[in-house]
Amino acid sequence: MAAVRFTLAVCAGTLAIAAAPAPPAPASPLSSYQSAADIARGKSLFAGTCGAYCHRPGTTAGPATDAPNLFDCDWRHGGSDVDIFHTITTGVAGTRMVAFGGALPDAEIWRIIAYLRSASQCPKPTTGNTP
Amino acid sequence: MTRFHRPALACASVLAMAMLAAPSMAAPNDPPGVADAEVALPPPPTAWYADKPVGTAAGPVSAAQLAKGTDGTSWLTYGGDYRNFRHSPLTSITPATVKNLHVAWSAPTGTVGQFEASPVVYGGVMYVTTSYNRLLALDAKTGVILWRYDVQLPSDLRLCCGPANRGVAIGGDLVFMATLDGHLIAFDRTTGRVAWNEVVADYKQGYSITAAPLIVGDHVYTGVAGGEFGARGFIDAYDMKTGKRVWRTNTVPSAGEPGVETWAGDSWKSGGSPSWTTGAYDAETNTLFWTVGNPSPDWNGDTRAGDNLYSNSLLALDPATGKLKWHFQFTPHDVWDYDGNTHIFLVDTVFNGKPVKAIAQPNRNGYFYLIDRTSGKFLRASQYVEQLTWAKGVDAKGRPIVNPAAMPQENPTTRVCPSNLGGINGAWTAAFDPGTSLAFVPSIESCQQFAKGVAVHVPGIPFMGGFPNTTDANEGKSYGLLSAVDVKTGKIAWRYRDARPMMAGVATTAGGVLFTSNQQGEALAFNQATGDKLWSFRMGGVGRGQPIVYQLDGTTYVAIPSGGFTGIDSFAGAASNIPEGGQLFVFKLD
Repeated sequence: MAAVRFTLAVCAGTLAIAAAPAPPAPASPLSSYQSAADIARGKSLFAGTCGAYCHRPGTTAGPATDAPNLFDCDWRHGGSDVDIFHTITTGVAGTRMVAFGGALPDAEIWRIIAYLRSASQCPKPTTGNTP
Repeated sequence: MTRFHRPALACASVLAMAMLAAPSMAAPNDPPGVADAEVALPPPPTAWYADKPVGTAAGPVSAAQLAKGTDGTSWLTYGGDYRNFRHSPLTSITPATVKNLHVAWSAPTGTVGQFEASPVVYGGVMYVTTSYNRLLALDAKTGVILWRYDVQLPSDLRLCCGPANRGVAIGGDLVFMATLDGHLIAFDRTTGRVAWNEVVADYKQGYSITAAPLIVGDHVYTGVAGGEFGARGFIDAYDMKTGKRVWRTNTVPSAGEPGVETWAGDSWKSGGSPSWTTGAYDAETNTLFWTVGNPSPDWNGDTRAGDNLYSNSLLALDPATGKLKWHFQFTPHDVWDYDGNTHIFLVDTVFNGKPVKAIAQPNRNGYFYLIDRTSGKFLRASQYVEQLTWAKGVDAKGRPIVNPAAMPQENPTTRVCPSNLGGINGAWTAAFDPGTSLAFVPSIESCQQFAKGVAVHVPGIPFMGGFPNTTDANEGKSYGLLSAVDVKTGKIAWRYRDARPMMAGVATTAGGVLFTSNQQGEALAFNQATGDKLWSFRMGGVGRGQPIVYQLDGTTYVAIPSGGFTGIDSFAGAASNIPEGGQLFVFKLD
């Protein structure tokens, strides 16, 4: 019963939060990581940590993998700067994506995001009916 | 699977249940347990034990049986026997009779990810593991499930390369499986109940285990994976009956130990060098052989100047103590991920006209080695892949002559072969026919450009230092080979070329027919003497498993797993449109 009561408390808290006005979205510090040195560092970190058996490098079409392409602007877990930072720091349960929060310094994670943004090629919006 | 959490759904369900149960929850004098019974949901079943013990007629698996290896009726170890031949003495399947193979039964794994296991068969029972550590005991004649155990794994595993498991070890009345979260578990083979469960390594530090354990005498041996996380490798021995650890031998020396001078600074501390495949045992010299994988970080060696012992090496160990007798290093200071952990054969052969007790190995780096197994002395290396550019040859002591242009670069332009996955890879087996002295080696032909990056070592996060640009795979140029290598000479007797990399294991038979599978979803049989394709069956799933051959009541069976893992399969070749999902096919000879 203790477990049920705890869960009820958590759910009640969740409902209370849902009913309250949405808090302002946290600001993205990405603009502070736009120097050439920051982006180069982000590229090296991506190459040494995120590529290989997981995310494919760059926008060139490589073989399909269970780790998503991070250069096509199609974000599975939210595409704002803060969303991407959150995904990197907390990981994705049940996948090979581990939580990097507390392991890589925040500044290094922002440099990786700066590199991803700089190297991404977002597809142009389609017009008309698409399947 | 219960690995995924859905908190929002859970909240809604609990609220609904709470509203129904609220009156009794509020009453202070409820009998104990009543309210709990109204809201508690039973946990999902994770084990289905045998009501009555199964496979008992055969009695416990003895040390003598394990020393003998497969006698045709059984398949007792991952390697088929301690020499790792994966060769059945059965003569019933021949080039003339193989056409009479038909499906006897099939069994689903219910999991995605590569189905890489080699089944084990004893006493009419087949023990087979799936991805995500399900262990099934099946009637080897009919496929009926006798018992099943699903390990409940955490959702934050550290897996470089998919949720594979390659099988069990069996000894006495116990069957052993190692897990993706670093446990070694012993089961009563007759009921499926857990006898003991020990933690080998903390998965949060980057460790996992994918290989089948090995049993010699009273010891169960296992290695670990973790080379893409900088997790320091080791080989462990456990008491088979109690699960108590008997010894641990690190694959990277500590400060003050011989060999640590081959690592610059403190780089040995995050040197990886995992022991992620199954070893072999030589009773004559009482030696345990185990192989070791890449130094960490994989593709940037700047911080670990030196040869980086004992990465990418073959180790000869005292099975009682774990003490190192000798080592041979295939790829010193590796920066391509050319793990030394590929299939080894303990062969008695001829070299320069003289008999020699040797170890033969098709290595991930593209060379086929012959090493004196009594001393570790290098005898010969010959190229078994078609494309090899990272080295210009191997010198008289067995040290590769590295091509400087093949070193990883920040913006690479040089095409390097073989791929980081090989050649052959430790995720699948080769096989050896002692009658003809031919070794049969499935391999990848897929060259890459190796890029160098920055890695920061923090336990539990990737520590790779670069990546391979999958050049040939991107351009649709990858293909696969099954090569027959004459162990006496190192020369290629024949080759079969497949449109996609060959990434599944092999079993040979004394009838002259070998079995394997390909990534196009076919089970395949070849004439061992000529390489002629004799038989195929469309299993559907990508072939990534290890076939076995056994005989029950005079009928011969061949078991072949089906089911790939897109993340790694596509790394070696073009993207596949074949869905994941494991299925075991068992054929019988009519």
